[in-house]
Amino acid sequence: MGKPEPITGEFLPGTLALLILKALERGPLHGYGIAKKVKDASGEALAIEEGSLYPALNRLLVKGWVRAEWGISDNNRRARFYELTKEGRRRLAEESREFERLVTAIRLVLRTV
Amino acid sequence: MRWMEELKNKLRHVRGRDGFDVELEEEMRTHVEMRADELEAEGLAREAAVRRARSEFGSVARLQEETRDAWRVRWVEDLVSDLRYAGRAMAKSPGYALAAVFSLALGTGANTAMFSLTSEFLFSEPSVEDARSLAVLRVGGASHSPQREYRFLKDAKLYEDLAGMREEGGVNWRQGDETFRLNGFRVTGNFFAVTGTPVWLGRGIAAGEKDTVVLHYSFWRTRLGGREDIVGRTLVLDGRPFRVAGVLPEGHRTLVGFGFTPDLYLPVTDEREVVKMIARLPAGMNRGQALERLQAAGAELDRVFPPAGGVPRKSGMSVEGVRSTDRVSSRKLLPVAMFFGMLMVVSALVLLVACVNAASLSLARAESRRQELSIRIAMGASRSRVVRQMLAESMALAAVGTACGLALNTALARWASGLALPLPVPVRLDIHPDWRLFGYAALVAAGSALVSGWIPALAATRGDVQPGLKQGERNVGSGRRRTRSVLVAAQLAATTVLLSAALLFLRNLGQASSTDPGFDVAQTTWATMRLVPERYDSTEQRVAAAGQALERVRGIPGVESAALAGVVPLNDSTTIATGMKTDLNPQEKQVRSQINRVSPDYFRTMGIPLLAGRDFTAADREGATEVVIVNENLAARLFGRQSPVGHTFGWEFAGGKTVLQVVGVAKNSKYFTLGEENTAAFYTPWLQSRERGTMLHVLVRSGRPAEGLGRDIRGALLGLDGSAAVEVRPMRTALALAFLPSRAGAWLLGSMGALGLLLAALGLYGVLAYAVSRRVREIGVRMAMGAGPWRVARLVFGQSFALVAAGTGAGMAVALLATQPLAMLLVPGVRPGDPVTYLAVGVLLALVAAAATAGPVWRALRVDPASALRQD
Repeated sequence: MGKPEPITGEFLPGTLALLILKALERGPLHGYGIAKKVKDASGEALAIEEGSLYPALNRLLVKGWVRAEWGISDNNRRARFYELTKEGRRRLAEESREFERLVTAIRLVLRTV
Repeated sequence: MRWMEELKNKLRHVRGRDGFDVELEEEMRTHVEMRADELEAEGLAREAAVRRARSEFGSVARLQEETRDAWRVRWVEDLVSDLRYAGRAMAKSPGYALAAVFSLALGTGANTAMFSLTSEFLFSEPSVEDARSLAVLRVGGASHSPQREYRFLKDAKLYEDLAGMREEGGVNWRQGDETFRLNGFRVTGNFFAVTGTPVWLGRGIAAGEKDTVVLHYSFWRTRLGGREDIVGRTLVLDGRPFRVAGVLPEGHRTLVGFGFTPDLYLPVTDEREVVKMIARLPAGMNRGQALERLQAAGAELDRVFPPAGGVPRKSGMSVEGVRSTDRVSSRKLLPVAMFFGMLMVVSALVLLVACVNAASLSLARAESRRQELSIRIAMGASRSRVVRQMLAESMALAAVGTACGLALNTALARWASGLALPLPVPVRLDIHPDWRLFGYAALVAAGSALVSGWIPALAATRGDVQPGLKQGERNVGSGRRRTRSVLVAAQLAATTVLLSAALLFLRNLGQASSTDPGFDVAQTTWATMRLVPERYDSTEQRVAAAGQALERVRGIPGVESAALAGVVPLNDSTTIATGMKTDLNPQEKQVRSQINRVSPDYFRTMGIPLLAGRDFTAADREGATEVVIVNENLAARLFGRQSPVGHTFGWEFAGGKTVLQVVGVAKNSKYFTLGEENTAAFYTPWLQSRERGTMLHVLVRSGRPAEGLGRDIRGALLGLDGSAAVEVRPMRTALALAFLPSRAGAWLLGSMGALGLLLAALGLYGVLAYAVSRRVREIGVRMAMGAGPWRVARLVFGQSFALVAAGTGAGMAVALLATQPLAMLLVPGVRPGDPVTYLAVGVLLALVAAAATAGPVWRALRVDPASALRQD
């Protein structure tokens, strides 16, 4: 199939948080759902270590950007669902802009001869 | 505040931490299972699916730890462990901890006590509702106005309301067979309503009431036994019954401030009384606008009540605030504010000395803990972590020290609050610990923790860990030894400044006590008799009563002479400043002079020599030629070298002029302060004065012992009128007021200086003793090599004296500059730059250093060279 080599490890600091926020944009998801969404959306190019989602999620809880609640998943398992708070939604917009700016800047640097 | 938000989230989390771990585990397990389900659905066997899912997930244990980290309140947990460590370390060397806590307790105790005193004396707010919108009005330059003017302005409705208050007034209180003189504030009926002064029991004085009183808490407590059923009871004041309307709360502060505490508030009843006008400004009106309104009303006021001297009142109008900051910013208070500023600086120096003490102690200890610290650093603790650890230790010490200091402060404050100040006005400082004090103490504790912990922590963690790891390494840290020497020198410098100021005030006290006031204080007695005004309505009655009082006192056995005076020198004063002319020189001369009205025999009674002319006689009465006795200074200013006796001088005032014929010249003396110089003064006959108060000052000259004499005088005066309030004091006691500034200064600064000296001595001793103990081996080597005890002693003494010389030298340079502004608080003979003060300070510190060094030297000399060499 000629799948590209997945990107692992530390890429840009804070990107994981941004990806989580983005995954939650359309509604609450449990941890596994978030991991799946990130993987699917990136065409499996971003293979994060799945477990590292949890420290990142908890940091977001501390900041108050997401909130969590126990619920029942589609296949009838008890799972914790994460949801963006109002502040989280605001930060998502802000961080996306920041990221765009950064990427543009990096691209500019790379193109410079 | 984002971090506050986060901390709140974290704290909410901390409460349910056990549940969190279980939930996290469950959540991670579910995650892995979900992934395994999916892989199974893709066709993997269950076991293989689970294995793959697990490996994709990563280490559960590590991830759980990382997740928990997100929630940890890191610095709090570090701090707790640091403090626990500090506690253990201190328990291991209790001597060090005790010495440091003791130093810091004394330093913070003294410092916070001075803070309480200053904030209560200068910055206590009056007990009124919304002090911001209250203002004091001055009309025609006078602080108090006649009541008809007060009523006129009140009826003019310039402001929301206007109340009146007369804050200096005696009241005779008859209790049983005795009469006491109390201090009462006389207020208009609307005073309590306008100012919104809170009343604790009962209520305030209401409009229109003429016979109610409101008691001060401490008067009620101490003189009336604090009985709860006091409201509605009757006190006999100035011969009339007054009903107690209420009692003020314990922390009541008057509008006057400065701890001024009356015994009671009562209504103004005498129409002749003048009142200070207090306005409640309408919302939104500032003092500038209030003044404009007052000035606009000035012309009408002048029309209805023509002003004395024809000067329009508008020129002397002002509107002043009543809050502490308004009071303190007044220029009249500059010396007072200066004195308190000095106190604060001095107590900050004491605290600094205490901190430096604690710092050098902890530096010395850090050196002996060098090995322990090196191990920690070698084991991977970062330098900042170790520094934080050491700061936590000094923080713990500072916290304990400050707590002890506060306890000391509270004890001091309780003692000081009960202190009756020798003042003619009732001043009582009600010092209670409040949020200001605690806030300040917290600042002090944090500051001292930083000051005493920072330098040692940095110094102890500086440089290479290698030598510290080696057991018994001795030649480390010449840099640290230098740091400590610098600290001790700094401490000595601070102490020098302290001691210079303290000695200055002590010398001032000595000088003031030996200053000759120009009159005799050994054999004079001062009796005051306050007559109830209502009983002596006419001038004739008052004059007659005064004459009879004098006759009765003169009849007492052993009394050589007795006289009446308008004011008693060094307690009160009346001054006049005007242009004067003499019959010899029509040129007007501006003269400021003290005035006293005295009866015949005043000069004999007070022991003031008459240098020329005669004393007043009974013939110098109303209707006779107006005569005067001048002092040497006034004589010289008006008449030059000519004898003034027989000549006249005088001045003009609105609507008339005064011409006085000089009949005598009295020797110069002190009139209002011991510090004054070249003061001009004149005396007029008591019987020719227009003023007839109901307060009589009777001066008595007698060689009899004070006690029996006082009883006799009291009996004689009360025999004339039992309703009068009589107080008798020997003149020496009465002069306490004149000594108060220098005495209080000497006391406060003296104790601070002594404290600083004690602390510096401790520090010096500790450092020197420690330095010697570290050099036992070196001394052993020197002695083994043949150095005599003298050489060793010289070495150690030499080092101490070098420290003292450097420290005191720097301190003296600072003190020389810092004490300059004190000149305005000192009597003329004492100057801030006086070398005697500095010499004394230097000698004192050298003595302390010698004493502090002698012990260590003694020990060093007893070192047995052989055992010293064997010491690790």
